[in-house]
Amino acid sequence: MTQTLQGGPRRFSLRRRGAPYLFIAPFIVIFALFSVYPLTFALRLSFTDWRGTGSATWVGWDNYAYLLTNPAFWSSLANSGVLWLLIIPAQVVVGLLAAVLLNNAKLKLRGFYRTAFIVPFVTPLVAIAQIWIVAFDQNYGPVNDLLNLVGLPDIGWLTTSEWSKPTVALLFLWKTTGFAIIILLSGLQSIDGTVYEAAALDGASRIRQLWSITVPLIRRTLMFLVVLQTLAVFQMFTEPFVVTKGGPYSSTTTAGLYLYTHITRADLGTGAANSFLLVIVVMLLSLVFVRLLRAKD
Amino acid sequence: MTATYESRGSRIRSVLGSQAFMVVLTLLFLSPVVWAVVSSFKPAIDIIRDPLGFDPTTFNLDNFSAMFGDVPLGTGFLNTAIVLVLKGSMILFLAPLAGYAFAKYDFPLKNVLFGTVLVTLTLPIVVLIIPLLLEMKEFNWINTFQALVLPDSFNLAFAIFWMRQVISSVPDELLDAARVDGAGEFGIFWRIVLPVIRPGLAGLAVLTVMNIYNDFVWPVVVTTSDSMQTLQVMLSTLAQNIAGNTIGTDYATITGELLAASSIALIPLLVIFIVLQKHFINGILAGSVKG
Amino acid sequence: MHQHSPRRKANRRFARLGSLGIATVVALGLTACGPSIGTPDEPDSSKLQAPTDPKGEITIWDRSGDLFEVFDAVIAKFNEKYPDITVNHEAVDIGAKLQNTLITSTDVPDGVFLDDSLVPGYADYLWDLSDVLDPYLPDIAQQKVDVNSLDGGIYGVPWDLDPGLLFYNATALEAAGIDAESIETYDDLLQAARDYKAFKPDAGPIHLEQSAFLGQLQLEMYASQLGTSISDENGELRIDSPEYEQILTFLDTVQKEGLGTRAEYLGPTDIATLESGQQVFFPWAQWFDFAPQQLLPETSGDWRAMPLPAWSDGGARSGAMGGSSFIVPKDAAEPGLAWLFYEFLVFDEAGYTAVYGPNSVYPDGLNTSIPSYGPAANADKPLFGTVDALGGQDLWKVAVEAGAQIPGSAPTPTWWAGAVDYLGNNIQKMLDGTMTPDEVISVSTKDIQTNLVDRQ
Repeated sequence: MTQTLQGGPRRFSLRRRGAPYLFIAPFIVIFALFSVYPLTFALRLSFTDWRGTGSATWVGWDNYAYLLTNPAFWSSLANSGVLWLLIIPAQVVVGLLAAVLLNNAKLKLRGFYRTAFIVPFVTPLVAIAQIWIVAFDQNYGPVNDLLNLVGLPDIGWLTTSEWSKPTVALLFLWKTTGFAIIILLSGLQSIDGTVYEAAALDGASRIRQLWSITVPLIRRTLMFLVVLQTLAVFQMFTEPFVVTKGGPYSSTTTAGLYLYTHITRADLGTGAANSFLLVIVVMLLSLVFVRLLRAKD
Repeated sequence: MTATYESRGSRIRSVLGSQAFMVVLTLLFLSPVVWAVVSSFKPAIDIIRDPLGFDPTTFNLDNFSAMFGDVPLGTGFLNTAIVLVLKGSMILFLAPLAGYAFAKYDFPLKNVLFGTVLVTLTLPIVVLIIPLLLEMKEFNWINTFQALVLPDSFNLAFAIFWMRQVISSVPDELLDAARVDGAGEFGIFWRIVLPVIRPGLAGLAVLTVMNIYNDFVWPVVVTTSDSMQTLQVMLSTLAQNIAGNTIGTDYATITGELLAASSIALIPLLVIFIVLQKHFINGILAGSVKG
Repeated sequence: MHQHSPRRKANRRFARLGSLGIATVVALGLTACGPSIGTPDEPDSSKLQAPTDPKGEITIWDRSGDLFEVFDAVIAKFNEKYPDITVNHEAVDIGAKLQNTLITSTDVPDGVFLDDSLVPGYADYLWDLSDVLDPYLPDIAQQKVDVNSLDGGIYGVPWDLDPGLLFYNATALEAAGIDAESIETYDDLLQAARDYKAFKPDAGPIHLEQSAFLGQLQLEMYASQLGTSISDENGELRIDSPEYEQILTFLDTVQKEGLGTRAEYLGPTDIATLESGQQVFFPWAQWFDFAPQQLLPETSGDWRAMPLPAWSDGGARSGAMGGSSFIVPKDAAEPGLAWLFYEFLVFDEAGYTAVYGPNSVYPDGLNTSIPSYGPAANADKPLFGTVDALGGQDLWKVAVEAGAQIPGSAPTPTWWAGAVDYLGNNIQKMLDGTMTPDEVISVSTKDIQTNLVDRQ
């Protein structure tokens, strides 16, 4: 968020004034052609009952009214909300701990761990979905076998609406936590080590140091991560699609997946309306986080 | 860092604790991948019937040979490589350019234009699929590389956002000095800014490569002919066929083929990552928001 | 951070307004030249006719896997009859591609393999095949014609028939002194299950499907036996009927009395309980025979197939579950040639013999379904051999005789798959014990009506 030209001599040459626009122009052209244009089309679509063929009838706000009065729409948002709660705090805590440890130059095998953590990021999700289905089988999956070993009962990971969300959340965590660790690591590396020395002299415990020194110092990195992951969670589609198909009982039908079901049913008007409602939700959430970020600065 | 002030015993304990945490995390991260790769060498039927079974005497390459018989994986790799080069160079040229404008110039509309970059990040791709597809039809772009490369505001916007962070940290004095020497605006970008941000650009390059390589939602939609499909499209076709064939028969074979294809698909990115690891980590350090 | 001077604030406000203006202009300008929504298609009432000059090139889509190999092998035979037609055979993710390809009408294939339940949903994009099919109609299983029909047109070349059968573990039942052959009604089946459970207390003899989708498909198999389905030929819902009440009550009884094993079709739990003799009755489509042949090495050879029990004495002993057909898109370049391909594959003796007969994928022939075309489905002229995994049983005869009993049906509604969110899920809730059969009927009827039927 640097402001430039502070102090530098201002030049009012035309070339200099025009340059930034030229530099941004390619993005604007791509944005206009491949985002704005399809969006305006989608906007008109959202007021029709078009099914991909034949003529479309203008239905006014019908699609929006249908969605806003439909419990399935609200529960898809709620499902995404619950997934957010399951994913983000866990990812931040685990990611932060791992990043703090990786940041310690004395840790052996650092390079190996960094590579290991990024492997899920490059593994095709569709293949891992097959593994997930087997691993979390209620009766014969190794996950429940492990639980039984420590005396816990079997859990219906994929078959009960209480546990299906944690199962999907675990897949998302597995896939993206490596990325989170690296982002947080970058924040940590900008901290000046001397602040810890002072704290250690004061006798502060490590956990206390983490909470009262590290976290405040990297809170912008944290917020950056949280905003990015919030966008990802609310648009999440592939993870539940390949593992649970949104079930059981639509308990893992996320906002992104619910949107997709309209499209598979060729109900393109409702799909478009749902898209815009989702975009509004995601933008509001992002705004909230950006405000939080600013307020603390 | 803090260890210096701790007793020897607590230092050992904390080292052990750290290593234990890392080992557990590593196990969690790697075991599904190892499982998938090992499974790809098992007879296809055993993957379904006895997923946890481990009997190296039965290991063979049948899934791989069956997969190469069914899936033109070579074509997939080639298409993915072409898209990677075209789209990668587009993003890696345009993003620093725009990021430079946002980081180092002050101009009317700046905040609003940057706002559009941020808004682009909130648009789910699913929203755009049908309208974009109809647009591709109007352009006669279905089954073309243009369609695989150009319509992706999201990755470009993310890259611009990233580059703006990186370029912000380039000292203004450097640019002003070049300006005093009479360098043109683009010349400054090309000869001063780009070399300075090389590590950040390398980090972005690896992230971009991973995103392009893993992308399949749009490529599935816009490529209908075999000869244009990317690697991920082929993988997702296999995965869909497992679902389709459950109501039918032979999903074991396809599961075997999917795991075989995925194991191979894993290799290039892993190699890229290990080779470029240093650049990647340093690049991310340069790019993300500093505390 | 930012230092807001008044001038900059004004600047920003101006900037916002300006950009709004630009965005609007850009958007409007683009919209003006965009594709218009809903230009009505030319009314095309013409029906596909057979071509006079069989020459050219066609593209055929199939899903990859065993059937792709089987159809691929038939192409050589087809070219013996039509040497001038080149067939490009592609393995495609049909579920993901077909809709988009039809909407954009770009690179449209000439023929596509498709689940019966999806055919009517695409009718707007497809050739009406009723003229070319006319000579064969009297010989095609009525259920297959019905599911491919919509408003008087026929939109798919009916391919396989998937009769529901009762698969049972003969060895395990014999050990318990139960004579499966004597089962004639679902009451008999319940009794046999109770007897087996008395013999083997940890058993759940009857399969209860836990996937909402397949559970609904199996429900439709039971309904098909009773000559009904989720909606009638006018698209009116008919779940609220004594037939569905009877079926759901049966499933509820199985669950309540502990006579069932609830598992996803051939998931880990399913396979393990089938192998251990805990699950011994599997009322399912013929394609379950894949399991004893490939996935159940312990009990392979112990399994047998028989017609389903009847819902009442003398009732039909089978119902259809699944099945596929071939469609020809209107925008196909060579629809006539595609028809010739499918005519050969489905109705020509050389064609259907090649499909079902021994081939490199199935050394004994393709035995997971039977032809829906009468002359091909002759009980005394088997196209595929006996099945070792079923103790050398003549599955062909069992399946053909069962298939002949399947009552006629109605077109599958376009929203069938969407109904899984309601009916399919509610069946599962009933098996959970949180819904009664009556609630399944009333709640599903209401939800399907408002969310699916009324929104067509």
